Amino acid sequence: MIPSYLPTTTVGSFPKPPDLLAARQKYRRGQLDREALRALERQATQEWIRRQEELGLDLLVDGEQYRADLVTFFAEELDGFRMAGLVRAFGNRYYRKPVVIAPVGRRHPLLVEWFRFAQSLTSKPVKAVLTGPYTLAEWSFNEYYPARRDLISDLARVLREEAQDLVRAGARYLQIDEPAIHSRPEEDFELARAALAHITEDLGVYTIVHICYGDVARIYPDMLRLAVDQIALALANTRFTLLEVFRTHPFTRDVGLGVIDVTRHRVETVEEVVSGIQRALEVFPPHRVHLSPDCGLRTCTMEEAVAKLEAMVEAARLVRAMVP
Amino acid sequence: MITTVVGSYPKIPDLPAPGRWRSAKEKRERGEISPEEFLQVEREVTLEVIQEQVEAGIELITDGQIRWEDPQTYFAQGLTGFTLDGLQRWFDTNMYYRIPVAEGEVLWTDPITVEDYRFAKAHSPRPVKPVITGPYTLARLSQNRYYATFEDFVLSLALALNQELRALDAENPPLIQVDEPGILRHKADFPLFREAMITLTEGVRAPLALYTYFGDVVDLYPEILDLPFDVIGLDFVAGPRNWEALEKAPFEKWLGFGILDARNTRLESLEELVRALDRVSRYVPLDRIYLNPSAGLEFLPRNVVRAKLHRLVEAKRAVLGVGV
Repeated sequence: MIPSYLPTTTVGSFPKPPDLLAARQKYRRGQLDREALRALERQATQEWIRRQEELGLDLLVDGEQYRADLVTFFAEELDGFRMAGLVRAFGNRYYRKPVVIAPVGRRHPLLVEWFRFAQSLTSKPVKAVLTGPYTLAEWSFNEYYPARRDLISDLARVLREEAQDLVRAGARYLQIDEPAIHSRPEEDFELARAALAHITEDLGVYTIVHICYGDVARIYPDMLRLAVDQIALALANTRFTLLEVFRTHPFTRDVGLGVIDVTRHRVETVEEVVSGIQRALEVFPPHRVHLSPDCGLRTCTMEEAVAKLEAMVEAARLVRAMVP
Repeated sequence: MITTVVGSYPKIPDLPAPGRWRSAKEKRERGEISPEEFLQVEREVTLEVIQEQVEAGIELITDGQIRWEDPQTYFAQGLTGFTLDGLQRWFDTNMYYRIPVAEGEVLWTDPITVEDYRFAKAHSPRPVKPVITGPYTLARLSQNRYYATFEDFVLSLALALNQELRALDAENPPLIQVDEPGILRHKADFPLFREAMITLTEGVRAPLALYTYFGDVVDLYPEILDLPFDVIGLDFVAGPRNWEALEKAPFEKWLGFGILDARNTRLESLEELVRALDRVSRYVPLDRIYLNPSAGLEFLPRNVVRAKLHRLVEAKRAVLGVGV
């Protein structure tokens, strides 16, 4: 089990080692077979499990070494998608945006094998991480479904099957990434809420929804109606100014507190992480607070990711020790 | 009827062509090429996207905003008083910008977009319109740590950007466009918005366009027609309720008719565009219409953009060809 006070985790993705990045490129060009790529992905996963144990994180992830990003992987593995060209996210970062061209469906479990593999490498619990139906729909082009509502509910059905498979495989912690859930809350929040509730209903495990960036204030306190145990949020990227929003209404779920900015190369000092945690503890009920970076660490370098997590784990240790 | 675009254009060509801008950007970020060398690449790409718009048959083009990292920071960095902070999502898109933070007095010292406009104009066989992000949207998506109130902040930005408009005005452009998607999310601010628009446009002789997108103006209608602009751009894809607005009162200006979906790859049929033009002609005569996509085009891969712009031009020809 994970410690009850200020447990530490991460949002899901870690940077890929250079040999894996090179292999992915070769694989795309047809110069490397799937098995060879898979072997490197497993090796990188093993490395990250070991590193997370060394860092002393409490709740581990598989590190998503086999995913390009949070949407592409699902679009590639599910039926009904093709990939469009590259679209810019920011700066020089581009991603391949999927297009829904047929009814979405699931041919086979997507993550069960990875979950089993990652969990077999450690005695600490591993959290399974899915991208949510609203975000998958929102961050894909849609050329097939006349009503987005139908696309979202088909995705929710497919992801519920996946979640059930993961629970059967032994997952005790399930995170659903919905970073786009608050894109247009006036029109869509109920739709997104219902889709999420469909996935988590009666799963019998600890569930988390990860929401980051965007205008979180627009769904507060509505977000407390999401059918999950924990809501994981990005705080560090706005230097904890978002905390003000949560003073307006008691936070009635566990909170995953993002205390590390993943969009900046600079590594946080332990002191500034401690100060962020302390500010947050004045707003959230302390026993409800879990610590993690703002978002996946995929876009950091390996060294940055490790150094940032060291700062977080050390800050957690210091704050825990301050409690009488 | 004049075919035009709203502003941005994809910076990189279709796969598998190498993204020259992308590799130059990477080299620039690593300090391997000088700002001048990077500008040279930006200019080459600008020529390419001017060419593509012209080939598609667009009559009033833009420079594609190739030099804009995003619509916020290009202006924040061009004014005094701003620093850049954490990454934030731009409206309900999956594009990101660094949050500008006003730490001091916001002042205009030098033209921001005039050189870009001159370059595009000198290299385009068709008329070019310069575009700026308006003061309200700029303020809304920034943090204000300097001005006593949000109103002060907006009006100071309006004053600063008035200088930019005057500098552009001196170049005798056929039209200057001001983008203000931000007001659609904060309609209660309309009195402040009106004041800002008056300050912004004072002393400018060129025809002016106000473009909104990602929503509708139904609650601001018909007041929005009183603003000192000759063209009002509305997004009928993300804001279908704009049709209701047109029902409320006669549309007495030029309409920027955003009917081609700038955020989805599905290619509109000629019939649906012709039908939409037929419908809009009941409210606005066709000789007072700028026919354009619903927003900037950087949300789409370039091959899709080309196909869509061709379709837009086809629609104009079809409608005028049948003697409407």
